[in-house]
Amino acid sequence: MNDFATSLSRSASGMQAQAMRLRFTSENIANADTPGYHRKTSSFEEVVESGRPTGQVRLGPVELDRRELTRVYDPGHPMADENGYYDGSNVDLVVEIADAREAQRSYEANLRMFDQARQMSSALLDLLRR
Amino acid sequence: MFDKLEILQMAQAMATHAAARQGAIAENVANADTPGYRARDLASFAETYRAGNGAPMRATRNGHLDELVEHREPEPLARARPGSESPNGNTVSLELEMVAAADVKREHDLALAIYQTSMGILRTGLGRRA
Repeated sequence: MNDFATSLSRSASGMQAQAMRLRFTSENIANADTPGYHRKTSSFEEVVESGRPTGQVRLGPVELDRRELTRVYDPGHPMADENGYYDGSNVDLVVEIADAREAQRSYEANLRMFDQARQMSSALLDLLRR
Repeated sequence: MFDKLEILQMAQAMATHAAARQGAIAENVANADTPGYRARDLASFAETYRAGNGAPMRATRNGHLDELVEHREPEPLARARPGSESPNGNTVSLELEMVAAADVKREHDLALAIYQTSMGILRTGLGRRA
């Protein structure tokens, strides 16, 4: 049963990490029009406990996308400078949507693995019931 | 007493192997987006069973031959898949993991079915309906 417990916890960690990634994506999309907003990104990393990888995954520290902010021309904007430009955000909606879709797919894959491990362990327990 | 029957022992080893392999697949799927992660897998059941457990030695006392028992644990090995490496060094392919997962489910179901049928035969031998 221990193997199943490890599989379940690994799949759960994967789902959690993907959900967190989706959170950053929605944060970026929500702030796509916020002046001066830098896109948040993060990278996955393996969880290591006492020197050994546990097989689980987590999201690493958040980093800000260092790409240049887009210059938006809008003389009527309260933050526009003397030339009529202000700094927009560096969020690219297409990238965010693609990222969200990938997170969803990976989440589903983890969910399927979770479900399969659960089915296998309940099939094992069914042997005891008869 | 029933674990002396080789078919039950084999079914048990097969179910254990399937559970361990499920753990490895869950790890791969969870780390499908981790940069630099190398996909892992276990050797197939046929190989591990033949190598470690084909003709078990009889111990006259519990605690003897402990080492042998430990050797039975299948060792994780890196799965070499040329060409499937992403630019960030990750070698997990979700499609192949899904195939492997279906394989594991089948293996586990098979092991449980063998176990159940053997128990049915034993029960019939005892004069009860299976």
